[in-house]
Amino acid sequence: MKQRPWLFLLPALLLVSLSAFIPLITVINYSQLTILPGTEPYFAGLENFVAILEDEAFQGALGRQILFSFLVLITEIPLGLGLAICMPKEGPWVGVCLVLLGIPLLIPWNVVGIIWRVFTRSDIGVLPAFFDWFGYSYSISSSTFDAWWTVLVMDIWHWTPLVVLICYAGIQAIPKEYYMAAKIDRASPWKTFRYVTLPNLRGVLIIAVLLRLMDSFKIYAEPFVLTGGGPGSSTTFLSTYTSRMAIGGFEMGRGAATSLIYFFIVILFSFVIYIVMLNLGQGAGGDQ
Amino acid sequence: MAEVEVRDIRHVYDPGTPDETVAVDRVNMTLEDGSANALLGPSGCGKTTLLQIISGLLTPTEGSILIDGEDVTELPPADRDIAQVFQFPVIYDSMDVYGNLAFPLRNGGVPEAEIEERIHRIADLLELGDLLHSNPSNLGPELNQLVALGRGIIRADTSAILFDEPMTDVEPSRKLTIRRRVKEAQQEFNITALYVTHDQHEALTFAEKVAIMRDGTLVQYDTGENLYQNPVNTFIGHFIGSPGMNLLACDLTRQDGAPLAQIGPHSIAVSDAVHSEIDPDWTDCQIGIRPSSVVVQKANPGESTDDYLPATVTQVEMVGGFQIITAYLDETEVAVKARVAHDYAIEEGASIGLRFPPDDIQFFHQEQAIRAS
Repeated sequence: MKQRPWLFLLPALLLVSLSAFIPLITVINYSQLTILPGTEPYFAGLENFVAILEDEAFQGALGRQILFSFLVLITEIPLGLGLAICMPKEGPWVGVCLVLLGIPLLIPWNVVGIIWRVFTRSDIGVLPAFFDWFGYSYSISSSTFDAWWTVLVMDIWHWTPLVVLICYAGIQAIPKEYYMAAKIDRASPWKTFRYVTLPNLRGVLIIAVLLRLMDSFKIYAEPFVLTGGGPGSSTTFLSTYTSRMAIGGFEMGRGAATSLIYFFIVILFSFVIYIVMLNLGQGAGGDQ
Repeated sequence: MAEVEVRDIRHVYDPGTPDETVAVDRVNMTLEDGSANALLGPSGCGKTTLLQIISGLLTPTEGSILIDGEDVTELPPADRDIAQVFQFPVIYDSMDVYGNLAFPLRNGGVPEAEIEERIHRIADLLELGDLLHSNPSNLGPELNQLVALGRGIIRADTSAILFDEPMTDVEPSRKLTIRRRVKEAQQEFNITALYVTHDQHEALTFAEKVAIMRDGTLVQYDTGENLYQNPVNTFIGHFIGSPGMNLLACDLTRQDGAPLAQIGPHSIAVSDAVHSEIDPDWTDCQIGIRPSSVVVQKANPGESTDDYLPATVTQVEMVGGFQIITAYLDETEVAVKARVAHDYAIEEGASIGLRFPPDDIQFFHQEQAIRAS
């Protein structure tokens, strides 16, 4: 009967293998091949990987991706944490705040893109009209700068509520005795935040940072709808690049190799951030 | 250290709403300078609320708190110089033990040299010296509670320290050690201390005086001995002692001018000292006697048992060094608990005689103790 535990795990294993292992192995297989329409695939070894790493379009997309994810994290995490701290902790306004925060999260990605596309249209959009007052000619189709910050603000609008919700749940779980003790120990509001709130939120902040890091690396639908990756390729991120390579360019081998590189970059970044955050400020001597 | 006076404190949660609850109702007590006090009572009786009012975490609905005669009712905790140790150890786990102990001093702007000196003194007292640079999250709840205690007493200007059931998280086998160190620290610094607990053993071993609360009111604030020997009412009588006082409902009669308590067919003489205080027309009377004061005699046919009330044993429990027997007085439904030596040979179902020495009997009318004036 030693095999019995495996029997219970079998359905889960089957599902996971269908949804993850088999596609992953297929992709690994594809990445070694040159697949051109109308011909038999043939073995290419690491050729695809070398070609992609040398591709300037890939390097550009990767650079933009890292910059974008970095900007997303340094804005959304502090902003989300700040909002969570300011949110009411009890009373009727809690429900109102939670519903308001939930709205952006309920909207499908491509719809978010469409909403912001309407905002930014030169004829009827509210943003160009608004900036027109100040004499600034706003256009996401011609200005790289405008396209960039609009994509960034859209992401912040869409995803900061998630960070708020995670942090809010974390804050609510901190026992109130910690705050009582801090009051008795004459801690200032800043020190209370630094030594009570922040250390107790370490776990949830790790989750929030990892979720936002991985999600921002995967950003696809919103900029695709809003800017189409332009102007030029200024808002083309890794996912857009990968899908163009695989679907638009009919180069499945290259596409598969891109996905794998992409996959390892996300894992690497997540791992490094996880380790760093886990060890951050554990049991140090405290500041003077 | 200082004298802490609780004056006419009343606290109502959610006033004016359907959830309105009176948590503390007109409590008066004075914690003398340097004294160890305990606050004892069943869960939900208002102990923690009173504690938080004293430390300043709560502002009372009515009444005032005075520290050395100065009214501090409106002052925040930081300005009262009162330390508090909570039910579970509150530790700042992003700092080591040293950082934790230094925290209240640094917040008060104490110079680093003095901080170091005080930390070493406290660490020696609490036997935390080797752990100063450890990460508290690796130390376990007992040591963490000591660190929390250290943070409370490290300030030179601490007026009083309040403990809110500090042993809750501590493993039973470690409680004695931790309690000893707490007590040593209290004595060493001559700290005015108030120790909240629902464990009477803990209260009686820590404190010189124990305050007992019930439903938000202070029932009795007295020495352990007085609480045991002279409870002000049946609640204290039953609450203190393990098992508590026997409380036997009785009727009153008079014999040769002296009041006599009547339980079913049995008459029990009451101490001469309270005769003049008792009105024979009273109803709702009880006599109270500690299980340790009840004298047990095995019934031997033919032997005189004049003073003894006949009873039948229904239960014999071994409680470590002695036995507790439960016996029903014959022809009544009244159970009496009595304490006998551990080697006293007695069996369930045995017929025995019980004697209540008049001087050990407490008399209660409408649950209040009747005392000699």
